[in-house]
Amino acid sequence: MRILRLLHLIMVAALVLAAADVYRIKFDSTRQGEHLAKLRGDVRRERDAIGSLRAEWSELDAPKRIQALAQRHLPLKPIEINQYDTLDHLPERPLDIVPPGTADPIGAIIETRSDAALLTGTIAPRPNPR
Amino acid sequence: MPQSAPPVAIEHWRRRLWRNLLYGHNVDRGAKARARVGLAIMAFATVYAVIAGKLVMFAVIGDSHSVRRGVGTDAVATARPDILDRNGEILATDVKAPSLFAEPRKIIDVDEAVELLSAVLPDLDASELRERLASKRGFVWLKREITAKQQQEIRHLGLPGVGFLSENKRVYPNRSEVSHIIGHVNIDNQGIAGIEKWLDSSGLADLHMAGFATDRLQKPVVLAVDLRVQHVLREEMLAAREKYKALAASGLITDVRTGEILAMVSLPDYDPNNPREAIDPTRINRLTTGVYEMGSTFKALTIAMALDSGKISLGSTFDARVPLRYGRFNIHDFHAQHRVLSVPEIFTYSSNIGTARMALALGVDYHKAFLRKLGQLDRLRTELPESAEPLLPKRWGELNTITIAFGHGLSVAPLQAVMGVAALMNGGSMVPPTFLKRTPEEAAALARPVVKPETSEKMRFLMRLNAEKGTASKADVKGYYVGGKTGTAEKVEHGHYSKTKVLTSFMAVLPADQPRYLLLVMLDDPQTASDTHGFTTSGWNAVPVGGNVIARVAPLLGLEPRLDLPPAERLILATKEAR
Repeated sequence: MRILRLLHLIMVAALVLAAADVYRIKFDSTRQGEHLAKLRGDVRRERDAIGSLRAEWSELDAPKRIQALAQRHLPLKPIEINQYDTLDHLPERPLDIVPPGTADPIGAIIETRSDAALLTGTIAPRPNPR
Repeated sequence: MPQSAPPVAIEHWRRRLWRNLLYGHNVDRGAKARARVGLAIMAFATVYAVIAGKLVMFAVIGDSHSVRRGVGTDAVATARPDILDRNGEILATDVKAPSLFAEPRKIIDVDEAVELLSAVLPDLDASELRERLASKRGFVWLKREITAKQQQEIRHLGLPGVGFLSENKRVYPNRSEVSHIIGHVNIDNQGIAGIEKWLDSSGLADLHMAGFATDRLQKPVVLAVDLRVQHVLREEMLAAREKYKALAASGLITDVRTGEILAMVSLPDYDPNNPREAIDPTRINRLTTGVYEMGSTFKALTIAMALDSGKISLGSTFDARVPLRYGRFNIHDFHAQHRVLSVPEIFTYSSNIGTARMALALGVDYHKAFLRKLGQLDRLRTELPESAEPLLPKRWGELNTITIAFGHGLSVAPLQAVMGVAALMNGGSMVPPTFLKRTPEEAAALARPVVKPETSEKMRFLMRLNAEKGTASKADVKGYYVGGKTGTAEKVEHGHYSKTKVLTSFMAVLPADQPRYLLLVMLDDPQTASDTHGFTTSGWNAVPVGGNVIARVAPLLGLEPRLDLPPAERLILATKEAR
């Protein structure tokens, strides 16, 4: 009998605890639900804002508008066909000034340079062979 | 005790059954009580298990109620997926726009409301507004899609019984640029033309019905069109229409390998943001909804047929010394040479007599079967809901074969002709054209061989030859190895072919040795301009326009310019022989 009564007590206590816990969970879930709804609303709003900004951006970025702006403000011109070239038309890499493995490369450069005619960018480039 | 046996026997059979089931025979009360408690524990355990299970369900499924609540107040006009071009540029998107509604029963002073509202929204008809507000209905729309500023102002008026619902509004940031491809929607965001309509017919409408398509999280639709290419093509076509005072100007660029349509322009077009313009019948999409006699561009098909039959080779010759007589008809050449012409000469001089003789040599049935194989005789269906059936002769006799051989007597949608010629260029496989982005693998799965690869090579040779020294020379943009075929079809006026009104067209393939793209330019009734020397034939209008387009578009398409390429005889034909 004693075991039975103990069992009774435990059950009543468990029931009360469970009820309290269920209530807590319910309250919590309601709160979470509201929070979620609010966040969802925020996300929607943000997404709508992103949507309208993207629409505006693509309106501003439309080729028609960009072309008109470029023609008005930039001195750019369409690329001509002879402005393209392929990599195999690049001239050969110039020979090394100093043979590799020289003990004092900098000294060797000064040595060779001092004798060679001064070459700077101001000298007119060689005419294009093509 | 033998006396105690009878009471047991007296026990009701039902109770005995219970007892037997629960405790078995002859058990004492203590055991009985324990068993009852056990039963109670089990019952409670079951209840708790149900509660726990329900909790898990809530956790997994989530609260669908709050979502429904949020949706109820907005998204009357349902959301549509964005439409993007092949590079991800937006062609059509949804923005939220507030719409103004009223609940007339709640309005206190109708006159005041009308006065205040029409001050903010001047384009609102005052008498109609008054009528609506004075009605006894529960809900009326006053104006759909107002601006945020107007919404703010109306809110400041403080009118009772007036409210806003936020709706999805479809916007097309590029305005008229891609109008005929994407089409447009009505005020309830239902597609009524172009890709927009296709979207609805391919499942979106059902989503709308079910009330699911309310969020903007739908997967965007990626089209094959390249906005930059489309812009260039449209600009050039606008300029061409202006310069040659043409009734209409259309252009199309397609990838010959995948069938993707990279650009399509049909002028006059309209702004999909203002769908009212689309009703005007002159603004139809001529490339898919119009059917035309394509003129000499169609000769490409005839010559391909001849070369593919194996009976006629590039070296074959045809007598073009005198006009071809058939019954009471005489077939003349526009660039008459009055001599025997070889097949390449027939192509470059665009000889009607030569092509007609070729078709006659193969017979009516062969001609018909070949055109059917190339899809020229059946309605071409693409994603666009608008399409037109080709106009076939009622009875197809030899005379029809003669005229159809040089592009008269059979009217096809220009897109259809492009599809046919693309199949001749790309190595001989027919790929159905598409407005959606398509990978080469998908295209290969759809491709259907129609002519031999050698035929395709010979056709590219002829196209290139025509640009080197034929009618298409004005479109030979340096570096892109353009090949082309011109066409000038006389327009039918009052049942007769007009001598003055023509439809000029130009088809160009680039590069001709490794075909990637096919361009079509079509001008309806072009007039002479200062630099055409009085001509209105294709070589003087459609071809230079095509050249302009190619020069601007080829770099955008990523074609590498190649200079100093040998002429067609050496580059295209020689590689074929080497194989």
